[in-house]
Amino acid sequence: MSVKMLRIEDLLNSNVWDVDYEPHIKVDYEKCEKCKAKPCIVLCPAGCFTEMGGKVLYSYEGCLECGTCRIICPYNAIEWKYPVSGRGIHFRFG
Amino acid sequence: MVKKFDVIVIGAGPSGSTAAYTLAKKGFDVLLLERGRVPGSKNMFGGKVYVSPLKEIYDDFEKYAPIHRWVTCEKISLFSKEDYISIEYKGAKSVSFTTFLTQLSNWMARRAQDEGATLLTEITVDGIYLEDGVAKGVIATGNRVEADVVIDAEGINRLILESAGIVKKPSPSQVALGIKEVIKLSTESINEEFCLNDDEGLAWIMIGDVTGNIPGGAFLYTQKEAISLGLVLILDVAIRAINEHVSRYVERLRTHRLLRRLFEKGTIVEYSAHLIPEDIVRLKPPSYYYDGLLITGDAAGFLLNLGYTYRGVDYAAYSGYLAGLTYEKAHAEGRFDKSTLSYYGKLLYDSFIMRNLKKFKDVHVLMRNPRIFREYPQLFTEFARTIFKAEYDSEKIMSAFSNAKKGKVSWFSLIKDFISLIRRL
Repeated sequence: MSVKMLRIEDLLNSNVWDVDYEPHIKVDYEKCEKCKAKPCIVLCPAGCFTEMGGKVLYSYEGCLECGTCRIICPYNAIEWKYPVSGRGIHFRFG
Repeated sequence: MVKKFDVIVIGAGPSGSTAAYTLAKKGFDVLLLERGRVPGSKNMFGGKVYVSPLKEIYDDFEKYAPIHRWVTCEKISLFSKEDYISIEYKGAKSVSFTTFLTQLSNWMARRAQDEGATLLTEITVDGIYLEDGVAKGVIATGNRVEADVVIDAEGINRLILESAGIVKKPSPSQVALGIKEVIKLSTESINEEFCLNDDEGLAWIMIGDVTGNIPGGAFLYTQKEAISLGLVLILDVAIRAINEHVSRYVERLRTHRLLRRLFEKGTIVEYSAHLIPEDIVRLKPPSYYYDGLLITGDAAGFLLNLGYTYRGVDYAAYSGYLAGLTYEKAHAEGRFDKSTLSYYGKLLYDSFIMRNLKKFKDVHVLMRNPRIFREYPQLFTEFARTIFKAEYDSEKIMSAFSNAKKGKVSWFSLIKDFISLIRRL
């Protein structure tokens, strides 16, 4: 049997969320556009940040609520809060 | 008129639930607030918990707590690209166990409820309610709830303490990122693969190539019917060193040529991430106690990372317990100001928590020595390869070591690093 590396989408598939109606992540593009390094793209464990045409696109649905993005963003462009009302990631093992 | 509580605890993780349990058991009226759907559903850790501090707090802990396996085997390995060398310890009575944090937090919160604490879930606290700089309660979902004392056990992302102006957002050098896969496997497979009995567990820390040589380490813990496999990466170094998505690093670990056999029959049932206190001196809040406010657990930076072992849950729980004892004393005196609550500081500094955090306050400096995570694992594996894989001629130990050292580290760096290691660790 061979063991293949899984894509982030497949890893996330094992998780359970109750996705919030409102995004709990917000990117200030005025600040974001100045950033060349874009560490959020490789360091967000959930892959919430991707790059398209030089612009950072983001989603909040798969967020694992670690808070890495708001700490590593060199331009303080990411506003990250907790989802409300029990929504967001629901760890069953932790 | 909304009812006033003796204490409001923010967060039903290990420290918050333990604080609530301690207080409720002493007959105080405690409100435990949790943002997750159930206590534990936002908690995540590596896999191992030290038991002694918990036994001191919870009656019959060993009998009722969700203990998966007693860690009887401790292993640390240095990895190069192609091989690894390990030190394994087995023998003495186990002092730690493996579990899932979601289960343990949930159990702790239930114990708090059994003692009479009021638990409310799905409540995200907006902030501490302050009156002239004195914490008088919390604001949650637009409502104000009052208490003599607020215990902030909100965890590593201190959004509440930040908005109260008590702490600043940590810099990437103060925290590490932990990422983990939970891999479901049968008890029999785990026992067989790791030479364990049903109630015996393995704690395995790996350093070197397994993190792509980024400072930090990889870990593997055996639960009853699962393996927790993951990475801890020092965040500021990772920002500079990482060259592809961080999930690839975890997957490279799981599919590592020398490890993958262990997980072949397994299914990934969870993929999680969490931040970990790292530079505890800079991460610590200016004070652990304020007028009407106590700070516990990850929010206070109570975690000991020695590189070969991590202790967070017992530190968190014990700080919650000490916060509970502090309230008891303050209540007897009828005062909840900073100077009365300074008793918490005294208890912390008299406990193993501050004794160890002080003793090991500079360990994070070692985490910034790149040689520990690249050159030394390469050196020691090459040394082992030379002496164990001698086809005809055997090498003398010293010459095998000198050869392995060549081109990696100078004697000067080696001695310097050794002194640095024994001074800090």
